[in-house]
Amino acid sequence: MTDRLWHVTFSIYRKKADQPPFYQDFSLEVDPDEYVLDGIERIWAFHDRSLTFRHACHHSTCGACGMLVNGVEKLTCITPIREVTKDGGKIRVEPLRNFPILSDLVVDMSEFYLRMEQAHALQVVPVAQSTLPYESLRFPDDGLPHERLNDCIECGMCVSACPIALTAANYQGPAALAAAQQTYSLTSEKSLLALVDCADGVWRCHSGFECTAVCPSNVDPAWRIMELRRQVIRHRIKRIFRQDG
Amino acid sequence: MMNNQPTPGKALRWFDPRHRQPGTWAFILNRITALGLTLYLALHLIMLGKLAQGPEAYDSFIALAKTPWVKFGELLVISAGLIHGLNGIRIALTSFGIGVTVQRQLFWSFLTLALIGSAIFGYFMFFVH
Amino acid sequence: MLGTRPKAREGAFLWLIKILAGLSIVIVLGIHFVVNHLVAPEGLLNYADVIRYYQNPWVVTMEIFFLIAVVTHALIGIRSILLDLNPSDSFLSILNTILIVVGVGAVAYGIWLALEIASRGN
Repeated sequence: MTDRLWHVTFSIYRKKADQPPFYQDFSLEVDPDEYVLDGIERIWAFHDRSLTFRHACHHSTCGACGMLVNGVEKLTCITPIREVTKDGGKIRVEPLRNFPILSDLVVDMSEFYLRMEQAHALQVVPVAQSTLPYESLRFPDDGLPHERLNDCIECGMCVSACPIALTAANYQGPAALAAAQQTYSLTSEKSLLALVDCADGVWRCHSGFECTAVCPSNVDPAWRIMELRRQVIRHRIKRIFRQDG
Repeated sequence: MMNNQPTPGKALRWFDPRHRQPGTWAFILNRITALGLTLYLALHLIMLGKLAQGPEAYDSFIALAKTPWVKFGELLVISAGLIHGLNGIRIALTSFGIGVTVQRQLFWSFLTLALIGSAIFGYFMFFVH
Repeated sequence: MLGTRPKAREGAFLWLIKILAGLSIVIVLGIHFVVNHLVAPEGLLNYADVIRYYQNPWVVTMEIFFLIAVVTHALIGIRSILLDLNPSDSFLSILNTILIVVGVGAVAYGIWLALEIASRGN
């Protein structure tokens, strides 16, 4: 923690009910090693109690605090202020794209969570299979079934960054597709392939790769979508030749 | 509450590269060149119809096609074709799981190739013939 | 819409065709360019040369195949872009009809033109 404080202006997107949205500026003295979320919390605590925003764990596990910081999707609890501005600079904070806004920085995640459920997203995965298949991490095998929390924290930032999710509400989205791929890899549930094998599913991706770029948690949705395509094709070919469901 | 919903009206934002990364730039380039090349396809097919009208129609059109402005337009088409084609190869590769983890590098390499190719074509079109 | 199973709308088939057509185009375009502008005498810049060039049945075949690949790829691509705008089912069925008509029309016109030009040689 440095001793020198920075003067930073937070420009926060505000929207209540059916009122037109606007940006409200707050001047703060902040420690640049603090996080954007700390600044937002201080604004709520000492400047404007009507500011609504989501936050919970403050250590990148819950996925609640995803927002647009200077136009880019960020998990605000782990985004240091010095990473996004300088002394005397401005931080623009907006809610995630492509979700309906409930109030200020809070968006409606219900459809997103429903899609994750439909994709049978796993909360806990076996450690030995918990990383991306192309990564060469190795875990010591002591014969015991170790498990850990799944990488995807359901923050929704991938959907916010996706150009197809921008215009097409019925696109299943990178998070749900990535979840389906991971669950299918671990459980071989064929119904998941049927879920994603449609024009609004795995074939609608246009390889923008923006989802992987903004994911704070090593999910690599783009890679998983490409892998899911191969799994779907493999399954279709098998069905043609073996006639099994 | 409806604000910020995905809507078709936001399609212009597809082409906004601000705050986005090379994958999005490739997406934007691919869309723009796709639309340009489709337009060119229509024009080209119509132009070729002049062949059926006989030598005078075709040859006089070719004379028009030698003016610098038309040649520049054709160079743009060639550029668009190179960018779209090479990026398309990148998309085909990544769609089949090849090179997904190096897609950024693929983008830069293919864009460079496309620009070099355009320069070579431009040289031949303007300084040789 | 929410909570219902999405129907399998054959996204895979057209997507695969688009990619295969695209790859065919890359190959044939290379050939098309080399042959049209480097091998053919004077680069096909006058009527008589074009007629002579089209006397070769391999040329005619290649150009027709090229036309089909390009029209297929372009129209499926346009459809993809419009699908990203989340059209209604009725809009989509009208769009499909228009694209099929345009596609078949363009290919028919192109084949007619190629054969017509080829027939003008003596």
